[in-house]
Amino acid sequence: MRTIRRRRPQPGQWVLNGILFAVTFLTLYPFWHVLMYSFSDPQRAMGGGLFLWPKGFSFDSYKMLFQNSGIWQAYGNSLFRLGVGTLVNVLLTATLAYPLSIRRFLWRTPLTLFIFFTMLFSGGMIPTYLLVNSLGLVDTLWALIIPSAISAWNFFIMKNYFQSLPPELEESANMDGATPLVTLFWIVVPVSLPVIAAIALFYGVYHWNAYFDAVLYIHSQSKEVLPIFLRSMMNFSAVESSRSIAPSDGATMANISEESVRMATIVASILPMLMIYPFLQKYYVKGVLIGSVKG
Amino acid sequence: MAVPGLMYFLIFHYGPMYGLVIAFKDFNLYKGVFDSKWVGLDNFVTLFGMSGFQRALRNTIIIATYQLLFVFPAPIVLSLLIHEVVNVRYKKFVQTSVYLPHFVSWVVIGGILYAILSPTSGIVREVASWFGYEGSVANLMASREHFRGLLILSSIWKEAGFGTVLYLATMLTIDPHLYEAARVDGAKKWRQIWHITLPGLRTTIVILLIFNVGSFLNAGLEQVYALYNPVVYEVSEILDTYLYKLAFEEAKYDLATASGLFKSTVGLVLVLLTNFIAKKIDRDSGLI
Repeated sequence: MRTIRRRRPQPGQWVLNGILFAVTFLTLYPFWHVLMYSFSDPQRAMGGGLFLWPKGFSFDSYKMLFQNSGIWQAYGNSLFRLGVGTLVNVLLTATLAYPLSIRRFLWRTPLTLFIFFTMLFSGGMIPTYLLVNSLGLVDTLWALIIPSAISAWNFFIMKNYFQSLPPELEESANMDGATPLVTLFWIVVPVSLPVIAAIALFYGVYHWNAYFDAVLYIHSQSKEVLPIFLRSMMNFSAVESSRSIAPSDGATMANISEESVRMATIVASILPMLMIYPFLQKYYVKGVLIGSVKG
Repeated sequence: MAVPGLMYFLIFHYGPMYGLVIAFKDFNLYKGVFDSKWVGLDNFVTLFGMSGFQRALRNTIIIATYQLLFVFPAPIVLSLLIHEVVNVRYKKFVQTSVYLPHFVSWVVIGGILYAILSPTSGIVREVASWFGYEGSVANLMASREHFRGLLILSSIWKEAGFGTVLYLATMLTIDPHLYEAARVDGAKKWRQIWHITLPGLRTTIVILLIFNVGSFLNAGLEQVYALYNPVVYEVSEILDTYLYKLAFEEAKYDLATASGLFKSTVGLVLVLLTNFIAKKIDRDSGLI
C-alpha cells in the first residue's frame, strides 16, 4: 500500500485529512454515545456529563431489556421478515428478470415497459392499503413481505446483469434440452453470484430497517417488528405510555431506566447489522456499482 | 416462469392504480370501490380548501426544497474531498465509516437524536458546559425554529456518506491525462475540479437529480414520521403524514387518496419535465 504514496504529503493534505477526520468523527460519534450510555449506570447517565466513556458501568439496561418478552418477539418477527422476505424477493426478482433478459423473448419490450411505468407512477398509500386489506393480509407478517415482493429498481439491476452474460450460455443450455428454470438455477445463477448477493443484501437491509409498512399494516403487539418495538418505547409522551417496560417501583426510577433501556434497544437492533458490516458494506457497494453501469 | 413476478406487478402496482378512482368518489368502506358514488372533482375541491392540506403542502415544498438544495449536493462535495486523499488506507477508513448510517433505520436514528439532543443528558448540554455554559438548553427535537434544520442535517448525516459511492466510482473513470495536461498548463487544484472533475460527473449528477426531483413531494416520509412529534407538527407535517392521518384517524379515505393522486401526478410530471430539460441541454443525458 505504501508504494502508492509517491507524492510528498503537502500541507493541503493535512488540512484535508483533518476535515475528513472531523466528518468521520461526527458520523460515528452518535453511535458511540448511545453505546456508552447503554453501558452506563442508568441513574448517573441521566444526569449528563457523558462524552467518551460510560458514567459508571452496568449491564442493568440490558438485563431489563432482555427480561421483557416483547424484544424477543420483535426480534423473532424481524428475523422472519428478513429471512422469508428476502428469499421471496430474490426468487421472484430472478424468475422475472431472467426471461425478460432473453433477447428472442417476444414480449420482452412491452413487459419491461409495464414494469418501468410503476417506477414513475403509483397508486399510493391508501389504495395499496385497501388492496392489502381486501386480500386479508392486514395484521399478518405477510403484509410486510408480499406487497414489497419485487422492487422494480432491483429487477432492472438483475435484468441488466443477466443481459451482460454471453447469450451462448443460455442458447447451449437450451439446445441440450434444459428447461428455462433449470437453465436459470444451474447455469445463470452460479455465474451471477455477485449480483445475487448484492440484491439479497439490498432487500435484506430494506427488510431490517423498513417500518412504515408495519405502522400501516400491523396492529397486534405480538406481530410487531424491531423498529416498531423501539418506536413504541420512544413514545415522546413517555408518561402516558402504556408500554413502559421498566419495573414500576416508583415513577422516577422507571423514568431513569427507561432512557437507558432505550439505548440498549438501539444497540440491540443495530448489532446484527454491525456484526456483518464489513461483508455487508463490501458487497452492497459492489452491487450499487453493478447497478449503475446501465441503470 | 415470469408469471408470479408479473402477477405481482399487476396486483400490487396496477391494482392500486385502479384504486385511485376512489379519489373521484364519495368512498364508503362498506360499499367498496365500485358501488361508492361518483362525485367528480369534489374531493379535490374540498382537499385544496382544507387548511391542514395547505399546511402539509407548504411544509412539503419547503422541506423538499431544502433537501434538494443542501442534501443533494452534500455527497458531491464529500466525494470531491475523499477523492483527493492520497493515503489509501485512510481513504478506505473514511469511506467505511461514512457509509455506516445508511444501513440504519430512521427509527434508530430518531432514538439516537433523541439521546444526543436530550436537554438533560445529551451532548448539546455537555459541549455547552465545556464553554462554561451551565444554563438550560433547548430541546431541538421539540423546537419549531430548529426542527426543519434538524431534518436536513440528519438527512445529510445519514445519506451523504453513502451517496459518495457512485460519484467516487465515476471519478475513477475520468482520464488521468486530463489532470496531467491541466497541471502542465498550470491549473490549480480547484480549477482542475471545476473544469475536469465536475464535468466528468455531469451524467451521474443529472440522473440522480431526475430521480430526486421525481420523489420531490415525498420529502422523506419514514424520516419525518420517525422524528416528529406534536410540538413540531406545524412545521413538519408533510403530505404523506397528513394523508396517513386523514385516512386512519379521520377515515377520509377518499380525500387521502385524492391527496395521494395529486402527489403521484406531480411526481410524474416533474420526472418527465426534468428529463426533457436535461435532454434539451445535453442530448446524451437524461433517463428515458
